[in-house]
Parts: sequence; C-alpha cells; structure tokens
Amino acid sequence: MKLLTHNMLTSHVKGVTKGYPLLIKATEVKVNEVEFNPQFVSRMIPKLEWSALVQAAEELGHRQDLPGELVADYETNEEFLKKVHRILLEVEVLEGCLQCPESGREFPISRGIPNMLLNEDEA
Amino acid sequence: VWLLFGDIITVTIGATVPTGFEHTAAEEIKEKIGVDARISKDRGRVFFPITTDKLFQVHLLRSVDNLFVVVEEYHHYQFKESKEETLMELQQLASTLPWTNALEVWKQNGTLKKKKGHRRGGNTAKSKPNCEGVGGSMASTEQQELPQENSAPEGWAGDTQAMETSTQDSDETGHGSKLIKFRVTCNRAGDKHSFSSNEAARDFGGAVQEFFQWKADMTKFDIEVLLNIHNEEVVIGIALTEESLHRRNISHFGPTTLRSTLCYGMLRLCKPQASDIILDPMCGTGAIPLEGAIEFNHSFYVAGDNNDMAVNRTVNNICHIQKRRADKGSMSGLPIDTVQWDLCSLPIRTSSVDIIITDMPFGKRMGSRKKNWDLYPSCLREMARVCRPGSGKAVLLTQDKKCFSKAISRMGGLWRKQHTVWVNVGGLHAGVYLLKRTGAVFGQTPEDVYESRGAVHMQGEEKDDKELS
Repeated sequence: MKLLTHNMLTSHVKGVTKGYPLLIKATEVKVNEVEFNPQFVSRMIPKLEWSALVQAAEELGHRQDLPGELVADYETNEEFLKKVHRILLEVEVLEGCLQCPESGREFPISRGIPNMLLNEDEA
Repeated sequence: VWLLFGDIITVTIGATVPTGFEHTAAEEIKEKIGVDARISKDRGRVFFPITTDKLFQVHLLRSVDNLFVVVEEYHHYQFKESKEETLMELQQLASTLPWTNALEVWKQNGTLKKKKGHRRGGNTAKSKPNCEGVGGSMASTEQQELPQENSAPEGWAGDTQAMETSTQDSDETGHGSKLIKFRVTCNRAGDKHSFSSNEAARDFGGAVQEFFQWKADMTKFDIEVLLNIHNEEVVIGIALTEESLHRRNISHFGPTTLRSTLCYGMLRLCKPQASDIILDPMCGTGAIPLEGAIEFNHSFYVAGDNNDMAVNRTVNNICHIQKRRADKGSMSGLPIDTVQWDLCSLPIRTSSVDIIITDMPFGKRMGSRKKNWDLYPSCLREMARVCRPGSGKAVLLTQDKKCFSKAISRMGGLWRKQHTVWVNVGGLHAGVYLLKRTGAVFGQTPEDVYESRGAVHMQGEEKDDKELS
C-alpha cells in the first residue's frame, strides 16, 4: 500500500463519523524506485489531505524533513516535489494494519493489500 | 523479382481490433505511426500503409489484437457460380499473387521479434510464483516465463534458418536450408458463398504448398497465410503476430479476464489526464488498471475487489510486469495499488476519485441476472459518491444492458450518459458506457434521497433523513 492510496482510504464502520485518517501500524515497509514525474506530483498535491500525508509518513518513520504545511510555489520547487514523490509512491507498507481512529477497528495489510471488508455487524 | 536487401518498400498492414474500437485503433495508429488508417466494412479490422523501415512501430500499438501484412486485396471479388469452379480459381490464384513484398516484410518482422525478446503471450500459469511484493525479491522461479519465450506458434522464434530461405528463387538452393512450414487460416463470412472456409483453406493451401514447396503443418508453422473472405471482399495476408498477443500483461488469469486490447480501448475512451486518480472497484485480475499503469502512466490506479483470489492475482500480475521491467533495467515501480473492499461500501473519501473504469459482472459469465438488479443501483450510487462532481467520469463495460440502462435512468441527478461503444466480449454483445458525473453534490439529489432510505451504510444518510422529516 502506497501512501497516496492511504490518503484516500477511510474507515466506514457503521456509526463512525471520524474515520479518517486511518492510523498505520506497519511491520514491513519497502522502498521502491518509481520514475519521477514533477507534473504528476505537483498536480496531485491539491488533491491530497496534506496533514494526513505527513502524519502517515511520520508513522512510518519516513517523514524526513517533509513540512507540516505546504510550502509556497511548490510547483517549481523540484527538490520539494522529489520528497513528495518519494513519500507518495516509493514508500510501501507490505505488512501491518490500518486502524480506525474512532472505533479502533483494525484492517489487516498483507502483501501490500489492505483488507477493508467489514463483518456483517459492522456494515 | 529480385529485391536488393535493405530496399525500403511500402506495404499495407491489416490489424484486427476489438469490434467497436476501430476508431480508437485508427486514432492510435495516427498518433504513433502518423498515417491514416482505413476501417474495413468487416468489423474489427483496420488497414494502414507503412514503410519497412518503420515496421517496428506496429508492435508499439496497444489497441490491436493481431497484425498481418497484406499480400493482395480484392474489394469486389466475383466468385464463380459453382463450388468446383470457385475453388479451382482460388487454387490458380495462389501462383499469381504478389508474394514477394509481403514475404520480405514477414522476414524482417521475424528479425524484429527476436530482438524484442521478452514479448510474451499469455498462458494460464501452471505454477504461481511466490511474489513477495512490489519490486521485492521473487522467492520462487517463475516457470511460465521460459516456455512463453518460444510460445505458440512453435518453431517461430530462434529459427533463423527458416527465415533465410523464404524469398530465394527456386533455382537457388540455400546452404543447409530448412524446409518452411506453413498453414492457411480462412475466415469466411457472407451468405452467398458456395463453399466453406475449410474447403477454401484446403484448396488454396494446397496450391500454395505446390507453388512454394513448403510443408503444411497446422501447429508448428513458420508462416501463417490468412485468407479472409467477407462477402465480396477478399484479403490474403501473412500473419505478423501470434494468437496469444492480446493477453500481453496477464500471467495469472481469472475466469473473466479481459484482453488487454479491450482494456486499452476503454482507457483511451476516458482520456486519462496527468494525476487523475482512477479506480477499478471490481478489478478481477487487474487487467484494466494494469494496462492503464503501463500505457497511461501519468495517472494513478487503485484496483479493488472483494474476492481473495482476485486481489492476489492482481498483485501477482503487477509483480510479474514489475519484474519484467526490472530485468530490462528500467525502473520497475508502477503507479498502482490493490485493495480488498466491498464495492457497495467503498472505504474511500467522498469526491476523491477522477475516473472509475470497470468491467461489471455479466449475468451469464459471473453473478446472476437477479443479483445485477440489486447490485447495479447500489454500486452506481457508491461510485457517484467517490467520484469528483463536475469533472469525474466513468467507463463501464456490461453485458446486462437492460438492467444497466434502467439503473442509470434512475440516477440522472448523478450520472449522465455521454457515449456508448458496442463491443463483443467472448462472443457476448456488451456495451461500454462512458458516463459523466454531474456537478451535483452526493446525498442531495432527489433520487439520492429516495435511494438512501433503503441503504444501510451511507455516511450522512441519517442526517439526510432528519432534514427531510
């Protein structure tokens, strides 16, 4: 699971109103090489929940010096874009789980696949 | 006729494409090769000219299933009255056709394929490699890779002697030349013919064998001669691709895996833009998002399914491609992720997705008619919730057109039909629907409110009800 995906995932357990962002408990993380495309990153940033991304990077110990707030003129700041690229696409959680911040319900991640299926009583 | 080796000649290439996507293929041909393609009356076929120095470009096309070089085309072939006379004429035709250029192209194409090396057709995996994860070490040997290097038709790759002997005149004997093996495949359509495709293949094939002194072999052939007859249109060609090419990305098949060319056609239809977030909520083996991650790689894909086997096969297919890329020395990571979820209750933030693209379960191939009646409205609603209002799109393939149309008609507030492409999937007639997400906010359109009374798990649903009462 890449952090770009994590940024969109939310808990949908019945009754939960604040199911985002999901907390990450990772037991196996891997870093891959993905081709850097500055346009892709700069156009993706507005679609993200920035603080959730930073929090997730922090939880994985990969935050490095990612700022808590977006820098101005990031579109042309290649160094910054490269950092964001890395955290969005290159860091992957292979094993672990995602936890609903409200209910505490854990969703397992195995082989990089989060299992978000709910039991009948939770849906 | 002697050809100086290295002469550049112009030939006509024929390509078979998924029916319904002929225009998509023509677009891609214009874009990548720079020529105008002609769409044949025989659906599912396009033709375009190419010079032999640009031959490699045809193998970059993603919308074509099979390619062949045209030997001769007749647009108004006048068949004789009787079967005997017609077949006799076909036999005589064999020795008069302009084979030289086409055979030259076939030969050059053979050289191209050897250089490409890794191009694989799809075969059902006999052994599942233990894929550790994206870009990670592959624990076990992927046994299916080796046989696929030389997959059907056998005798093709690595058979250099066969290629060297093809176009020499009969009075020159090649040094230790190997006998060429061939077969004729005939496709016939039309109700005014006095003969069957088998008869035409047999008689024409016999004459070809006489003329070239090749050996006929149905399974282990070097050259496949194509005889396509569609009413009065007759096209004779030589195949440049093997049958299995349209499953190029998939090594781990599922029961309804879509061919990659169809996936490509659907993706082109929705015109993925840079940084688009593209979801396939019923991904099966991941064929569509994987094709997208390879061909339209400036977007990001999330493949999801509720089924254990499906998500695992998807990850296996992704790993397979990434390993192939790594082996070639390129950066292997693809912009794609896989999630296990229930598509009627997507664990995705509202309005965060740009495009939804999927193959919806067919009543006959998977699921059931009754299930579709209930499934379609709920999943269309959920897809509308996650899809960005105003700019969002959906490209949905389904065979159950009646059920789908009914479901869509009740969602005018959320989805508008923009275009439909009629296709053929495994012999079944299906529709690819391009929908636009309206600007309406989810949960506030009249149909929405009506639907949400029945739904159990929509967030904000209780709030809606309170507002109404």
